[in-house]
Amino acid sequence: MSEPHRVKVVAAPPALAIETSGLTKRYRRVTALSECSMVVPEGRICALIGPNGAGKTTLLRMLAGLAAPTAGTASVLGGTPRQDPAFLADIGFLAQEMPLYRRMSAADHIKIGAHLNSRWDGESARARLLGLDIPLGRAVGTLSGGQRAQVALALTLAKKPRVLLLDEPVAALDPLARRHFLGTLTSAVAETDGALTVVLSSHLIADIERVCDYLILLTRSQVQLAGDIEDLLAEHKVLIGPKKDTGALAATHTVVHTTTTARQSTLLVRVGGPLIDPAYEAADISLEELVLGYMGASAAPAYAGLTTVAEG
Amino acid sequence: MSWLVWRQYRAQGAIALALLAGFGAVLIVTGAQMASQWHSGLASCAASGTCAKLAQTLSLGSPLGRDFVLLSNLVPALLGFLWGAPLVAGEVEAGTRAYAWTQGISRTRWLLVKAGWLLLAAAAWGGAVTALTTWWYGPRNALYASAFQPNTFDTQGIVTVGYSVFALALGVAAGALTRRTLPAIAITIGGFIGMRLLISEVVRQHYLTAVTAFYNPLQAFAPPGPAWTLQQGVMDKYGQVFTGGNGPEVNGVPFSALPANCQKFIMIDPGTMTKTSLHAAVTCMQASGFRGFVTYQPASRWWAFQGIETGIFLALAAALIAAALVVVRRRDA
Repeated sequence: MSEPHRVKVVAAPPALAIETSGLTKRYRRVTALSECSMVVPEGRICALIGPNGAGKTTLLRMLAGLAAPTAGTASVLGGTPRQDPAFLADIGFLAQEMPLYRRMSAADHIKIGAHLNSRWDGESARARLLGLDIPLGRAVGTLSGGQRAQVALALTLAKKPRVLLLDEPVAALDPLARRHFLGTLTSAVAETDGALTVVLSSHLIADIERVCDYLILLTRSQVQLAGDIEDLLAEHKVLIGPKKDTGALAATHTVVHTTTTARQSTLLVRVGGPLIDPAYEAADISLEELVLGYMGASAAPAYAGLTTVAEG
Repeated sequence: MSWLVWRQYRAQGAIALALLAGFGAVLIVTGAQMASQWHSGLASCAASGTCAKLAQTLSLGSPLGRDFVLLSNLVPALLGFLWGAPLVAGEVEAGTRAYAWTQGISRTRWLLVKAGWLLLAAAAWGGAVTALTTWWYGPRNALYASAFQPNTFDTQGIVTVGYSVFALALGVAAGALTRRTLPAIAITIGGFIGMRLLISEVVRQHYLTAVTAFYNPLQAFAPPGPAWTLQQGVMDKYGQVFTGGNGPEVNGVPFSALPANCQKFIMIDPGTMTKTSLHAAVTCMQASGFRGFVTYQPASRWWAFQGIETGIFLALAAALIAAALVVVRRRDA
């Protein structure tokens, strides 16, 4: 589906690996994801951040074709997620619990993958696991959590996916295993030379900072913030100043979140122009402050558009 | 995909083969024993000219052996809950569906290949069991002419193949629907036993219209060969059927239902009834239009019934697999 308004842009817009529009998933009474519209450009490593229950898993499962949306559309590599070998060949999906057949070995899984996938690089999976000293012949149920995660990741990468969807892959791992897992992931992404798009859900901001260059913040089953992490950090400032009316400030800038003490206010603002009020002291923002500021923002979503460059 | 099925089920397949071997060993030993009893019985009755009464004088094997063979009725249900119920439900419970259903094959193919191989295995296993029991029953069928009786009909011929395939398909469908192995096992066992009882007790006798033969109530009569007798009794000239009951009776007809002119031949106290008076009463009954009748399925229909029953269970299995396919495709993983 082409979008006419993009024709006006002079520089070619980045191709989109993932695009959702009004994507909604309702279970009997619970709305797991509400009107989610977002894009992930091709070749990005995108962090999907949000508190538990924000809808991260639901979103990823719909993108992988495991669940069907109640409303809205999703497009992954230009196609609707579906139970179709041609679509599934391009998708690597890793569920949070790293499901594998516990009584089978990594070598068995590599062989299974060869039978189930038209495009399969079992050799690289084998080499990757041997490089990590993970026994290929042992039942995966007897491996440590970190080793099992590495096996699951290696198997997912062996599919040679163009979009990799990882649901909380490091949540259950200890810090060292987490570091190793993310190391494997970044080196695999580097090998593909921009052909692989990754969406990684997590609530651990430190890990994301190390690996990701794109961010989607999901809270209360809605997208609060999305964009290139560097751009987002550049566009936001922390202002510290006296406790006073912020009306004038809000005319040019978007005040995302305000914390006040007896004497001063700390404002998280999205900068919309030059900062001229000398009463405020402006400081750069860390990713953690940014994420927590948006998560804590009680106001209506400050974020409305799809890309950060479209604003201002 | 087939390799995955082989890898997932090879251990269970080996167990199934071992069970089959054990079952086969018992059947071959007891079956060979019965066959030699049968042959020596035939030889001695031919020498003494008593072969007509062989069924009364010869007893084959032991009741224990027969009960053991009746156990083969449970074999299909076993397949249903050991292999069928966890086929989808097990993958849901272990979370592995998220792995299996994001590989480069459709869920349709995943289910069809997996269920297809297991259905074939179930058919082969059921076939092997029934080949053993059918051979085992050979001398008994010849001696007791009971191959059409409900218990023995169900444990030989080709019906076991149909039962096995049905039980497995039922397990698969129940597992796909409930997504949990234990409830699926309960549904499989309950559904299998329920359907088997419904078919054997209610439906089977209607596969083909039963034959009714009438005979002189003075004579004993049995349908030829190992027929399946559905009803036997005496009918008066208006078509009312008497099959015996409580109280004094003649050939199943209560005294009170006898015509007045026949009642005089017998005393009210049956203890004093003589053979002569009974004969006179029955002759009188025949003169008043009473007839003996027997409704039965002729022995020649045995294979037709095996075929129809197998067909019914295979069709049920096909419907269940189709239902499982719809559920697996439509529902979110």
